[in-house]
Amino acid sequence: MVEPSYPADAHDFASDAEELERIDSAATEAPKGAVVVSAIAVAALLVGWLLLYFWIFIPRGTVG
Amino acid sequence: MALSERAILKSEVRWAIVVGSVVALILGAILFAAIAMHMNPPSNQEYADPKTLHLSPEFTEANLGTTVQPNGQIVARMIATQFEFVPNCILLPADRDVTLRITSPDVIHGLLITGTNVNTMVVPGYISQVHTRLTKTGDLLMPCHEYCGLGHSQMLATVRVVPPDQFRPDAQGRAACGNRG
Amino acid sequence: MATVAEPLPAAPRRRRKAGAAAELQTGRLVAAHMWLAFAAFGIAIILGVWQMWARSPVEAPYHTAANYFRSVTLHGVSMAYVLTTFFIMGFGYYVAETALKRPLPGLSVAWGAFIVGVAGVAMATLSILSGNASVLYTFYPPMTATPWFYIGLTLTVVASWVWCVLMLVAMRQWKAANRGKPVPLVMYATVANAVMWLWTTVGVAAELLFQVIPSAFGFNSTVDVGLSRTLFSWTLHPIVYFWLFPAYIAFYSMAPRAAGGRLYSDTMGRLAFVLLLLYSLPVGMHHLMMDPEQSNGFKFVQMFLTSLVTIPTLLTIFTITASFEVAGRMRGGRGLFGWVRTLPWDRPMVLATGLAFIMLFFGGGGGLINMSYGMNAMVHNTSWVTAHFHLIFGGTVVIMYFAIAYAIWPSLTGRHFEDLRPLRIQLWMWFVGMMVMTLPWHWTGLWGQWRRVAAFDYTDPLVQPWGPWVLVSLAGGIILALSGILFLYNLALLHRAGTPGAPRTIAYATAIHPPERVPASLNGFGLWNLLVALLMLIAYGYPIAQFFVDPPPQAMIHRLAQ
Repeated sequence: MVEPSYPADAHDFASDAEELERIDSAATEAPKGAVVVSAIAVAALLVGWLLLYFWIFIPRGTVG
Repeated sequence: MALSERAILKSEVRWAIVVGSVVALILGAILFAAIAMHMNPPSNQEYADPKTLHLSPEFTEANLGTTVQPNGQIVARMIATQFEFVPNCILLPADRDVTLRITSPDVIHGLLITGTNVNTMVVPGYISQVHTRLTKTGDLLMPCHEYCGLGHSQMLATVRVVPPDQFRPDAQGRAACGNRG
Repeated sequence: MATVAEPLPAAPRRRRKAGAAAELQTGRLVAAHMWLAFAAFGIAIILGVWQMWARSPVEAPYHTAANYFRSVTLHGVSMAYVLTTFFIMGFGYYVAETALKRPLPGLSVAWGAFIVGVAGVAMATLSILSGNASVLYTFYPPMTATPWFYIGLTLTVVASWVWCVLMLVAMRQWKAANRGKPVPLVMYATVANAVMWLWTTVGVAAELLFQVIPSAFGFNSTVDVGLSRTLFSWTLHPIVYFWLFPAYIAFYSMAPRAAGGRLYSDTMGRLAFVLLLLYSLPVGMHHLMMDPEQSNGFKFVQMFLTSLVTIPTLLTIFTITASFEVAGRMRGGRGLFGWVRTLPWDRPMVLATGLAFIMLFFGGGGGLINMSYGMNAMVHNTSWVTAHFHLIFGGTVVIMYFAIAYAIWPSLTGRHFEDLRPLRIQLWMWFVGMMVMTLPWHWTGLWGQWRRVAAFDYTDPLVQPWGPWVLVSLAGGIILALSGILFLYNLALLHRAGTPGAPRTIAYATAIHPPERVPASLNGFGLWNLLVALLMLIAYGYPIAQFFVDPPPQAMIHRLAQ
């Protein structure tokens, strides 16, 4: 069986009803994981920005 | 179900608030640097006609380089032209307020001084002006960083930063890199 | 809830053989656009590697300043104008037919536009090869190339305008036939891009028409440089979003389905595309932070608006991550992070989305520094900036172009890929190569390594320590070139070999709650066009008017071609 590069024809689930049932079972925890992952990413972004601001930009002195 | 439309919308709105706060924090830090520490982009908006630059009193060859003005202000004047800076070395003291004034008689140039916050475009028609205070001594590079023609890569000057006590302008208030360069 | 994989209604123009699925009416049109885009890409990656070699401590063949800047110009034009414009047009035609499930209005007009675009590309390419257009891919007078360079690129833009009109007509016809129904998100986003592109090109069109082309022909002897830089900046930021849109379209309308799940929120998708349209336009002046012709006040206003454009991107990250989380949990993932492991990473679209997000993190983070007003002085025109846009465009955007091509190629050729491994290897190589190339550029850029030079003098004690980092970047560039070649090979192979029987259409992701109705404002662009006009008036009204109120001295034109 060839796996399509993009599941345009094949569904991962036998029926819509099954798919919705799976979504329901997933919903007990979602979107907790997404919140945590995105929050870590944005926090890291902010930390990186502040590092450059305090360690490089400010010490290089006044300009304008 | 737990992923009702309302629940989804609520999580999105909460996330937007988090993201908005992060952006606000960054904006606050930028504003603080701008207002309290005078760290702004160089926006001089002062005109200089590139077609008659050689006739302007400020940018005649004899007036280029570092000068201590009668009021004590230290000003370095330069011309950025295809494909060199005139002069190609400027002498500046560390830990003192200095002002760079640069203009172009031909095409667009740009400059930065390596390892510092000095950075500006040099646009024909305008005098670019940067106020700064250099914190490290030694020779720094000042390249042209905007493509200005086939000789662009050779357009490179030196900024010699000396301790304040070694910065000794002559009787006319002029200081140059001299034969040490 | 709507079924996801509805077959196309029978509207076949021709059938190759009895029993075979009907071909897409736009199939050849899409393939022609995309192959032109990818051919330009293929040439540009080879040039890119040579340019990095030339700037490294190792002697490169044919290395002269003239060759270097000719090469940079061709690399920039191929990647930024040809790859993007033709890919976006091709993808738009594909979306219009497959999402609206109607024939594309004006198929022959689209072919006409394609021919105009090809003529323009040929004209620009010949100009560059002649050496009379080595001005890089930005339009910054008083240095001007041969007029045929600008006229060629203008023709390409004209072709893209025709595309914009066809997208708008396609949406309007569908709405007339489906009153009250929400336009499919994938088409709404495509039209948002078309609307944005029409606004975007106003600045550069004015600059070319009134300043650059007359100057290049010799009708003028002087030019207002501040005005031309300001007009170019009008275009300079949203053009990047024009390139970026297909990646976001794939995030919202393809990735969740490829992951085996559904889109977390259709409304947030619409909102994100509307916000991108609104806030990508009045922000171009962040490219002029270090310029003398604009005041700090307007630089600050546009910096503030720039910071708002991060919001649709950060919303997108959350919405897509949440969609992936739901998909991962539907496949049995548990706990806070278990869903990451259960996602089908072996599917190219899912893998590409993950890798695109990592590159977006670094590229977006770098962009955050660039836009930060005074902080721009730390990095302006250094290799930091080169690293930033290679990561965002070459990384996030182009890897999604690959994933889109891999997703739609079966429907264009009627064949499935026999083996997905070469596809995955190609995507991984692109990611690794891009990271290896750009992370050292960020570092050397912070220490002042400047952009746009043909060579560095490594005997200088301040330049010498950059040498090893430049060599690491070069290694990354070589990996990228190999990945690019593998990509072209993978696509070309599918035209000759592959498992027959692939359906001649594609299904887009549905939302967990597919909208029955959406507010009129999120089903069209009338309100948003008004708001864009207002924001542009605030952000660019006086900054442009000032050149007429108090005209600055003009500069003499420097023509490369006599």
